Amino acid sequence: MNAFDVVVIGAGNGGLTAAAKLAQKGLNVLLLERHNVPGGCATSFCRGRFEFEVALHQLSGLGTAEKPGLLRMELEQLGVLQDLEFVEISDLYHVAASDGFRITLKTDRAETIAVLQDKFPHQKDAIQRYFDLMARYANDMISTFIFRDPEASRDKYPCLYKYALQNSKAILDEFFSDPLLKTILSLYSGYLGVPPTRLAFAYLAMLFFQYMEFKPYHLKGGSQALSNAILNKFLSDGGTARFNCGAKKIIVDKGQINAVVTDDDDEITTNYIVSNVSPVATYNHLIDPAQVPAATSVEIKGRNLSTSAFTLFIGFDCEPDQLDITETTNFLISTTDISDGIRDRMNRPDIQDDFMLLSCYDISDPEFSPPGTCQANVVTLKYGEPWLRIPPRRYHDVKFRCAESMLKRVEEIYPRVRDHIEEIEVATPLTHMRSLGHPFGAIYGYETLTKDSLFFQPGRYSPIQGLFFAGGWTGDQGFEPTLRSGISAAKSIIRRLGAE
Amino acid sequence: MRKGIWQEFDGYQDIVEEIKVSRKLGGTVSSAMVSAEEYIRQLHPDRLELCVSDIITETPSTKTLRLVSKDNYLPPFMAGQYIALYLEIAGIRTSRPYSISSQPNQVGYYDITVRRVENGLVSNYLLDVVKRGDTLISSGPAGNFYFNPLLHKKTMVCIAGGSGITPFMSMIREIIECALDRLVYLFYGNQTIDDVIFGAELNRISKRFDHIHYIPVIEEPSRKYEGACGFISRDVMREVLENIEDKSFFICGPQGLYDFCLPQIQEMGVPGRKIKQEMYGAPPNIWQYPGWPHEVHQDDVFTVNIKNGKQLTAKAGEPLLVALEKNGVVVPSLCRSGDCSMCRLKILSGKVFQPAGVPVRKSDKKYGYVHSCVSYPLENLEILIQ
Repeated sequence: MNAFDVVVIGAGNGGLTAAAKLAQKGLNVLLLERHNVPGGCATSFCRGRFEFEVALHQLSGLGTAEKPGLLRMELEQLGVLQDLEFVEISDLYHVAASDGFRITLKTDRAETIAVLQDKFPHQKDAIQRYFDLMARYANDMISTFIFRDPEASRDKYPCLYKYALQNSKAILDEFFSDPLLKTILSLYSGYLGVPPTRLAFAYLAMLFFQYMEFKPYHLKGGSQALSNAILNKFLSDGGTARFNCGAKKIIVDKGQINAVVTDDDDEITTNYIVSNVSPVATYNHLIDPAQVPAATSVEIKGRNLSTSAFTLFIGFDCEPDQLDITETTNFLISTTDISDGIRDRMNRPDIQDDFMLLSCYDISDPEFSPPGTCQANVVTLKYGEPWLRIPPRRYHDVKFRCAESMLKRVEEIYPRVRDHIEEIEVATPLTHMRSLGHPFGAIYGYETLTKDSLFFQPGRYSPIQGLFFAGGWTGDQGFEPTLRSGISAAKSIIRRLGAE
Repeated sequence: MRKGIWQEFDGYQDIVEEIKVSRKLGGTVSSAMVSAEEYIRQLHPDRLELCVSDIITETPSTKTLRLVSKDNYLPPFMAGQYIALYLEIAGIRTSRPYSISSQPNQVGYYDITVRRVENGLVSNYLLDVVKRGDTLISSGPAGNFYFNPLLHKKTMVCIAGGSGITPFMSMIREIIECALDRLVYLFYGNQTIDDVIFGAELNRISKRFDHIHYIPVIEEPSRKYEGACGFISRDVMREVLENIEDKSFFICGPQGLYDFCLPQIQEMGVPGRKIKQEMYGAPPNIWQYPGWPHEVHQDDVFTVNIKNGKQLTAKAGEPLLVALEKNGVVVPSLCRSGDCSMCRLKILSGKVFQPAGVPVRKSDKKYGYVHSCVSYPLENLEILIQ
């Protein structure tokens, strides 16, 4: 049978939830994925006796059964929640500076304020006021965007109106004078891929709020467990999945989706597509340019690509305490420069003063790695474009040179790591470019600049009838938003089909 | 929610202006339209079209095939990596991984060195049928068996058995050609002196270069032979190595080599993290493996039903992947040793035997996914190939 109600292209987070939601509603859905495993970024790989987590650091939006976050509710409705096991992470993050400074921010708001005030007594009041602002901002945001207050106004929600679109650095400067304190409070900007100079306060505040209110979570079995669970649900609801088979072409006729041609040259009739492929590739490589509205081409070309990443996956032959790793989420810093200098660093392949994130999942989940071992995922953000200037024959040398400088930074904080490495794998922006197929290896899709946020851009919608997008390119980045983006795309299609 | 409420936020107009400017000038997306795919292809091509430019007889049972690229470009590789050949022999489409035995600095060709396997479908084909000028299709270079400067010590203790010499040949040739700062102790085990591959070259290199030590170990030596005899035991190694400090151990060869040598290395006190082991295909005589159910005989035949596909029969003692290939079902494959996960498929019902230590993702296990190259049917099966 070569006709489906909906074809979903790509089995990343957004593609998987879209496919599963549509199949749950009884639609006849085909899911295409060019890799042999589902998940996109949400995957893992094995080396020796280790299974390395690729992308998930702190899952947001879960909350508890009593106080569920939006993601928990949607996973529950999708019928996959009972297949997953979550572990709450007790810390927001630990910060370790090369000069010996250490601090751990807890998920409890009062505790974190107290810890910060203890380390920065000269900024005591400012700390309290800043956390109050974040709380007020989050309340405003929830009232207007989640509960959809029809009478929203500047008078009613002054924080929202004033701060939403301002850059995070400006707000930190407004409240604090201590550069180290500002750096500590800005580190989550890395989760969104842009420096605080360019990140709307809306994002930073909501991220803090989310993690403090609904807590960060680790997922047992890593993100592959989630991808496999959603795929399994999709299959048991009668969905058809084809792996090792991507889409070659999307056929559009008179502005309406008509068919998909797969990599195996199979033409599949459908009126609806959820593209979990980047809009850049969807409009430029899959659809005949003549069918793409001029405004869409202009819109896409005006946008920026997010950063990529440079990652070390390290398997150790000892427990984390032997390495002095005590927290799950650790930011390693050697500078307090949070200006646009961050961007300059991200544009250099070499690692010097870059902010780094070391995640050791074994702290939250002692069963994560085999007994007597642990693993660390060490990542820093790097743009992909400079890597394309490296001659292919020099690539391995550059990769190991950069990895070595990263490892040296890790050793500054955890001096014993080198003696316990059993496995080590390096992923560069080119690795991401290859495995995700994203231009420049952009891990987050479009750059999270304010101008590229959902307020201003088309999100999942397309002027081509029947085409919807899901995944990191449609709006906010990270696991919760991308998982939810697929549900939203599915709901849009279900609504249209209901109306027909 | 009031529609477009954000249009009233402070700074809204500035951003509208910003968008206008970026649409006029183009963001970084516009430069990415010139696709990075070509660059990726230069590093990691899906397929290579290779031409056999020369065939060199190494021993009575071993030949080196010299392969040049049809489009004059060969991607770089790390000494120790392999390519998988994709072949169709007697109507069976299959693949085999071969370590590249030439060195990475030799950009004109890849050498692969093939030893005859008794009744081996592919080795006999490559040795007897393939001739100069023939075309072979391969994967790009792959594999994790290489010197990793982040992890490995300059002093490499290399332990090879039989055709397991090939990745080490690439490493040693690179060390010599590129004057790399390494010290190599190569212990190379073979049944008889006639089985030694690259013996003359290794002798020549070790005579000329102080930092390459070559220790052939012969299991059944002739009477005149004066070198080390028997297996590569810890005594053989201890005689050459002063100590085990600051050394990295690499081992490549048939299962028997691992079964014997790995405990020997461990008994010398070498921690597991300092031992790098190459894959070497599916284990032979799987039915002799610990854990194999005694009630199943290697020649027992089971039915395999592919969901929405054909039905076939498979022998217990043969990997599922091979049974599929023999029946014309092509599953993507690369390492064929359980490691790379390419041949992953889902068992819907029935049981398969998987040797211990095969790296399968935890959640893959939960949902019944196996690596079919090292999975052996123990019952009738229903499988899903997606």
